[in-house]
This record gives sequence, C-alpha cells and structure tokens, in this order.
Amino acid sequence: MVKISGQARRIRIYIGEASKYKGVSLYHTIVLKAKELGLAGATVFRGIEGFGANTRIKTSRILDLSNDLPIVIEVIDSAEYLQDFLLFLDEVVNEGLITIEDLEVMKYSPKK
Amino acid sequence: MQEADLLLNYSVYLVIGLGGALGAITRYVLSTWIYQKYFYTFPWGTFVVNMLGCFVLGIVYVLGVENLVTSPNTRLFISVGFLGAFTTFSTLSLETLNLIKSGEIIVAVLNGLGSMIVGLIAVWLGMSLTQLLLK
Repeated sequence: MVKISGQARRIRIYIGEASKYKGVSLYHTIVLKAKELGLAGATVFRGIEGFGANTRIKTSRILDLSNDLPIVIEVIDSAEYLQDFLLFLDEVVNEGLITIEDLEVMKYSPKK
Repeated sequence: MQEADLLLNYSVYLVIGLGGALGAITRYVLSTWIYQKYFYTFPWGTFVVNMLGCFVLGIVYVLGVENLVTSPNTRLFISVGFLGAFTTFSTLSLETLNLIKSGEIIVAVLNGLGSMIVGLIAVWLGMSLTQLLLK
C-alpha cells in the first residue's frame, strides 16, 4: 500500500444526515466509494447543531429539528489519488459544500 | 355501549387514527415553522404547540363533554386523536432534560414548570371563554 507522507490533500464534504443517493445514505455511499477507490481513509462526523445554504437550523437539542443533522466527511490522501473521488463527489453531492485543502501529514500508519 | 362493544367499534380507531395523523403533521409543521422564525435556547416550538393544544382542549371539553354540542366521534377526533398527537409531553420532557444536561438549568426550569403552569392557564382560558360565549 503506497500511501501519503508529507504533502497531502484533505477533502471535506458538508451534507445533511438525511441526504440520500439512490436510496442509500449519501455519507455511507461516499465512504464506500472512498474504500472502493483505495483511498487512505475516510471519517464521518455528525454535528450536533448547524445550518446550511437553506438557513434552516438543525439541532439535536430540539426533537423536531433533529432529523437532518449536519454531517462532515473527511478524506485525506495524496492529490493524485483523489481525482476520481472528486469526480464522483461532483456527481453525487447535489446539495452541500465540498472544500479542498492542502496540508502536511505528520504520520500515517496503515496496518500491514 | 358495553366496553366490549366499544373495543370492537373500529370506526373509533379510524377516527382517532386520522385525527392523530393530522395532529402530528400539524405539530411538526407548526413547531418547525416557529423554530425557523424564532430560534432561541428556549424550545418555543414545543411550548407553543402544547399551550395551543391546552387552550383548544379547554374549548373542546366544554363544547363536547359539558354541553354535548359535538358528537362523540368529533370529540374523539379532536381531543384524543388530533390534540393527543398535536401536543407532546415526551418531547417537552426530552428537551427539558437536554437543557439540564447542557447546564441551562434556569431555562430548563422555566420550560418544565412554565409549560405546566401556562398549560393549566391555557385550558382554563379555553374553558372559560367557551362557557362565556355559550351563555
């Protein structure tokens, strides 16, 4: 497994928990794709409160507003490995935000 | 009607079920609309639907039980079905607990005690106004 060291790139995808792609949770679809493409890893975070472009607040404090909590998916890998993944994201993320940042990886220790 | 007959009267379940479905949807639409307009720490959406439900129940009680203006099925539809689903004690309890857990004790007390006290006042107000109008 040839993987990242030094310079890398991080993709963050901000979507809602209720977002779906072909009937499956979008965050799950994205993680499966990252795995299929052999990326270094993917992590899904669920936020407890927030709002997006539609300005509607979602929060775990209020029951009626807790059905579409914020989800952030982070994927870090070398830029060249992320090209196909970005094309996939462009296709499946219809509502949300995708950010790309260059960063430096200090340590990455995949299991052998 | 005997108790056994009442249990076999499926139209009662239908009436309550329809009222409940409508009440739950109305509560969700109204409370989320309130939260989009006025989002504060205090759970106004749940509070408003509960107080509104108490007020309407006061009216329905006077009309249906005390004055028999409404039919039994209408009463069941509105009070047991619609208002039963429209108002929510469990959501109130959960949101009060969430406030306690996040350290907002004063807001939690205001929510818990306030809902009970204002709820009593709302039912009384609904009953009193209806009795006044029926005189």
